[in-house]
Amino acid sequence: MRTHKLCMLGDFGVGKTSLVARFVRRTFSEKYLTTVGVKVDSKEVALPDREPLKLVVWDIAGRGTLDAPGANYLRGASALLMVADGTREASLAAALELLEQARRDLPDVAAALAVNKLDLVERWEVTAATLSDLRRELPVFETSALSGDGVEAAFAELAARLAT
Amino acid sequence: MMPELPPVAESWLRDTLLRRAHPLLLSFDAGWCLRDVHGDAAFHGFDSGDAGRALRELQDLFIGLPLDGHQELPFIELSNGRSAHVHLIADPPGFHVLLLDAEEERVQQRAQQQLGNEAVLAGHEKSKAIGRLQEIRNELERQRASLEEANALKNALIATLSHDFRTPLTSIFGYLHLLEGPAADAARARQALGAIRRNATYLFTLAENLLEYGRGEAGALLNPGVLSVDALARDIDDMFRPLAEDKRLAFEVGVERDDGSVVPLFDEVRVRQVAVNLLSNAVRYTAQGTVSARFAWRGGRLRIEIADTGIGISPEFRERVFKPFNRGGQAGSKGAGLGLSIVRRLVEQMGGTLALDSAPGRGTRFTIDLPPLASLPAPAGLDPAATPWKKDFDVLVVDDDPDVAQLLEALLLDLGFRVRVAGDANAAVAEVMRRPPDLLLIDVEMPGLSGNAAVFRLRSNGYRGRIVTLSATSTGEARDASLRAGADYYLTKPLNLDQFVGVVQRATASPVGA
Repeated sequence: MRTHKLCMLGDFGVGKTSLVARFVRRTFSEKYLTTVGVKVDSKEVALPDREPLKLVVWDIAGRGTLDAPGANYLRGASALLMVADGTREASLAAALELLEQARRDLPDVAAALAVNKLDLVERWEVTAATLSDLRRELPVFETSALSGDGVEAAFAELAARLAT
Repeated sequence: MMPELPPVAESWLRDTLLRRAHPLLLSFDAGWCLRDVHGDAAFHGFDSGDAGRALRELQDLFIGLPLDGHQELPFIELSNGRSAHVHLIADPPGFHVLLLDAEEERVQQRAQQQLGNEAVLAGHEKSKAIGRLQEIRNELERQRASLEEANALKNALIATLSHDFRTPLTSIFGYLHLLEGPAADAARARQALGAIRRNATYLFTLAENLLEYGRGEAGALLNPGVLSVDALARDIDDMFRPLAEDKRLAFEVGVERDDGSVVPLFDEVRVRQVAVNLLSNAVRYTAQGTVSARFAWRGGRLRIEIADTGIGISPEFRERVFKPFNRGGQAGSKGAGLGLSIVRRLVEQMGGTLALDSAPGRGTRFTIDLPPLASLPAPAGLDPAATPWKKDFDVLVVDDDPDVAQLLEALLLDLGFRVRVAGDANAAVAEVMRRPPDLLLIDVEMPGLSGNAAVFRLRSNGYRGRIVTLSATSTGEARDASLRAGADYYLTKPLNLDQFVGVVQRATASPVGA
């Protein structure tokens, strides 16, 4: 089975760890616990009309910019799931900045954007129009780690891109 | 270079570092086949029955990385939940993986970062809360000012009405008494009937204005429909010509139309209120000369000109005449002083403009320019009055309550729409993406994905059809949240059917993206 390294990147508190927990273990915790370093998980992803593939998901500690340790963790990655928090517009700018920085070292990396906390959509600062524009640049998913909405779809999109 | 330590110190240091780091060295050949193990395997979770899994996870750490050079991965959380610094040490033809415990260090770092991150997140929430409080404070201030104004207006209203209703009623009763008397010849009877008509018209206008005023600044929903200007002109003529002739004034009503390829939609009741109020003033304040009304279509827009040769309005009074209960603008003025304030409010509600051109002693001209509230195409042979909105619209109804969904479906089918139904928000999103409807009616409070989240997702995916959200929550905050998510209209349950039909009418009549 083909194995690919997928890194979660985004500012702190946007829900990267929660998205991985939802995707890999189908669990969710309300408690915010900051990530130090990296937590690595893996999951096999079934693809229509293709061999399944294994995603090794690196949940990297949240940062607004990519520092040297962060860049070190990205080495060997073939996919990036950028994560922003819909209730904090600044986290979207951070995710896009991180993507730009990461692409300098990984020009061919597959990337998608998860705008998390859809369950709090009434409090979102990020607008539908902004995301509509961003969709021209990369796949965008509104996700809720709490309810699971959009989570499978975001990972499946990256898996499909890696399989081609 | 550190000088050589005394053997006892070196031994102590070695023991301390080993005790703290719990080093584990795993030696592999080039194909990740484990050859040797040195150190505390149990501590790092490599001694259990699932050591194979732990080794596979270790291998996953080096995906895409060369194995013939040194690699360092700090703070890796292992399958046993502890954190370790992981080093790959090349030793051709194989390599070693060295694990050094970092759990204590991670706990310290996490405690520090957690505090910092939580402070930033709390700061963000705090600034948003302060912003909301400021909005609430401003709103309270607006409401306080509005209440003060309302109280002052109420007092003015009571004072005004006692005069404004009694005067025409006194006149009406007086003339009725004359008509009932034995000596009422034909000429006096005509004069009396004219006076009764004049005063009744005035009372009618006053009553209409009071009702309109009672609706408040927000007013009622506008109801776009096909406006028959010819019918409006006839009604105006019937209503005001006798009053003008009683005063020996010339009265002219004109209609100009273009051959537009669209049928503009206006709120006929509001347009009529504007014209009636302006003409009522024009006739009242003109002693001799002419009063005229002209309705003209200009590129789908409606232009109304009401002109008179009356007493006119001085420049210093031009703003004041638009304020409610202000009657100081015209010498000898009478009336509640509501007419022009209501005209301005209605024109603004309809998105139009109002211009006033006046000279004391020479007369006044009001020019109203109204954009259509919406437009319908006017294909040959189509009777616009028979199609108040596009009935071939495709509507998707989304509600998890089958009874409500069926009710909405039945209502919309009765109105002539094509209707599809979905029972939850995810199904609705899929259905809209598969075949976008012209109009989406979606419940906000549904289990799973909420209606607002579905609306946001659809808008961010480029859906541009009209969206009406339905909710049991009637707060302004809930309404704003829904509109922010991307809805065009927000209706509360239980549904007011007239309002529902009005909103559907507006949603389907207005062009998408407008």
